[in-house]
Amino acid sequence: MDRPVPGTLQRTLKRVFRRNESYLFLIVIVFSAVITLINPTFLTLENFFDLTKSSAGMAILAMGVLFVLLSGGIDVSFTAIAIAGQYISVNLLMVSGVDNIGFAFLISCSLGIAMGAVNAFLISLFRLPTLITTLGTLSAFHGAILYFVGTKAVNTGFLPNCFKVFGLKNILVLARPDGTNYGLSVFVLFILGVVVLTWVILRFTILGRGIYAIGGNREAAERSGFNIIGVQFFIYCFVGFLAGIMGVMHVSTIRYSNPNYIVGDELAVIAAVVLGGARITGGSGTILGTLLGVAMINILKKNLIMIGLSSYWEQFFIGLIIIVGVSFTYYQNKVRSSQRLIFIRE
Amino acid sequence: MLGRHSKLIVLFIIMAVVISVISGFLPNKFLTLINFQSMASQIPEFGLLAIAMMVTMITGGIDLSVVSITNLCGVISALILTKLVGPEALAVHTGGVIALAIMASIVLSVICGFINGFVVAWFGVPPILATLGTQGLYLGLAIIITKGYGIQDFPEKFLFIGSGKIGVIPMPFVIFVFCALVAALFLSRTKLGLSMNMLGSNPIASRFSGINNSGVLIRTYMISGLLAGISSIIMISRVNSMRPGYGYAYLLQAILVAVLGGTDPSGGYGSILGLAMGIVILQVLQSGFNILSFSPFFKKFIWGVMLLLVMVINFAVAGYQGRAKRRGVRTP
Repeated sequence: MDRPVPGTLQRTLKRVFRRNESYLFLIVIVFSAVITLINPTFLTLENFFDLTKSSAGMAILAMGVLFVLLSGGIDVSFTAIAIAGQYISVNLLMVSGVDNIGFAFLISCSLGIAMGAVNAFLISLFRLPTLITTLGTLSAFHGAILYFVGTKAVNTGFLPNCFKVFGLKNILVLARPDGTNYGLSVFVLFILGVVVLTWVILRFTILGRGIYAIGGNREAAERSGFNIIGVQFFIYCFVGFLAGIMGVMHVSTIRYSNPNYIVGDELAVIAAVVLGGARITGGSGTILGTLLGVAMINILKKNLIMIGLSSYWEQFFIGLIIIVGVSFTYYQNKVRSSQRLIFIRE
Repeated sequence: MLGRHSKLIVLFIIMAVVISVISGFLPNKFLTLINFQSMASQIPEFGLLAIAMMVTMITGGIDLSVVSITNLCGVISALILTKLVGPEALAVHTGGVIALAIMASIVLSVICGFINGFVVAWFGVPPILATLGTQGLYLGLAIIITKGYGIQDFPEKFLFIGSGKIGVIPMPFVIFVFCALVAALFLSRTKLGLSMNMLGSNPIASRFSGINNSGVLIRTYMISGLLAGISSIIMISRVNSMRPGYGYAYLLQAILVAVLGGTDPSGGYGSILGLAMGIVILQVLQSGFNILSFSPFFKKFIWGVMLLLVMVINFAVAGYQGRAKRRGVRTP
């Protein structure tokens, strides 16, 4: 064999380009560049801070969805859990007169964990298909909130102060040329916290190994001694917990609590995670990819108008992105599998 | 214990019980001709979507985009019906426009289904993801075209499809029964139908048996799209208007009915007879709820709970028959 041995640089580059995240990173860069050409205000620190704040909710939910996808499942009920946590914590705070954001988080997250436990119970004990189960719980949770708690929206005027204060809190304040201020929202700490927590769990704990194992091959994971039920309970309760956090952040941002909001946005979050390279069949996915996916979707959402397309194009574009993005990945996988005569495609 | 038909027998018992209970509770309002006619005209919309869902489930997939296809085709038909019919319309001219609208809906729905099938079969994208994406695509198109507004007032003759009657039986019900019969024969007697069952049961075995998996899958989703297109015609005709986002509750109901009717979400089994009984059960409950003036939110809650309950019961029954272990191997 007289082929020259590729050098270390070439090998590293080859490995980098095989990863999905690299392509996504390139696409995000190119996309940002194009937008900056059309609208120079895009590439400013203020815009970056703004983007961080508005994509915080989705980023946090995406971490939860990543866990679920890694384990080979899919969860569409997290939006109902988020809005349930939000609506109930707002109302409870109003009724009890307590004005503490920590209390709000406590209520929202506890409720989120409880609802996540319902999901976990059905999926792990009864081995139900995750998509249909979570479709059922989405409907059940949302219907229950609207029916048993109510449909009355809470206006800014009646909203407890802690939410409004929290929403405006910045950890870093800079001044614009005209004297007014802008800042990096405290939300970024939450994003960092959740991302680090996710990273630690996935990288350094047996629990994380278990998540990948179940997604890779459930039978094998079971026989290796992983506690399937325990891991799945953790996953779905964690999703509920994150949904609870997102709910409080959401109401703090828009200062309006309407139990009909958030539900319906499941597609966008799943799109972001899947775009980031997570396989829907499980066992494969990275945090970096997910974050890039969230960034991509949010940049797209905010800047469609700048490219000259109205917000009506949003749904269409998200759907198109999913199709194009995943087709590319799955086609590669299909070709590679058939070359190696692998017929069970995971 | 009861053999292959255990699911159908259980369903029949449930159906009988539900009808008896509701009739017993509300004899005056429920057991009337008007109520039956009303039920018969509501069934076709989600019934056709349920058949579409069942067909895709039989092959081991799912079609989350059926309602979006309905929306898109409905919008296109609605536009044709309103833009091409002038105030001085002649009878022949109107008939032509109506035929064109129906044709457009059918053709577009099959194209949408083809795209679905293509992404699933050729790119190897799992159906959940593919139809999740195309759902956004089609609904997005519908929103772009209408800018969110509704379209109203269709020609009189067109409304016959949705509101007319043949004797005492509402027209949409006739269409639905026809489609259901064709689907039943198709699934059990034609080569394609049997191939679908086999593919859903074991895709690798079916591939090595010589069945063209890709072809079967593409045609499956095309059929699913076609049924969604027919449903859209009935839908817009019944309500005499169309706006994007209409009918989204039907997605959950279609899945509920498919699962209730005994279809195995992991593929390989599905029966139109079971589906029909599931549809009857759902519609009877729906009518009962309407007569009792249940809140739409409570209904949403109930459908969710019912779907979960049905899945759990199926699991229990399957476990009893010793098939749970094998079922647990497939990825969700």
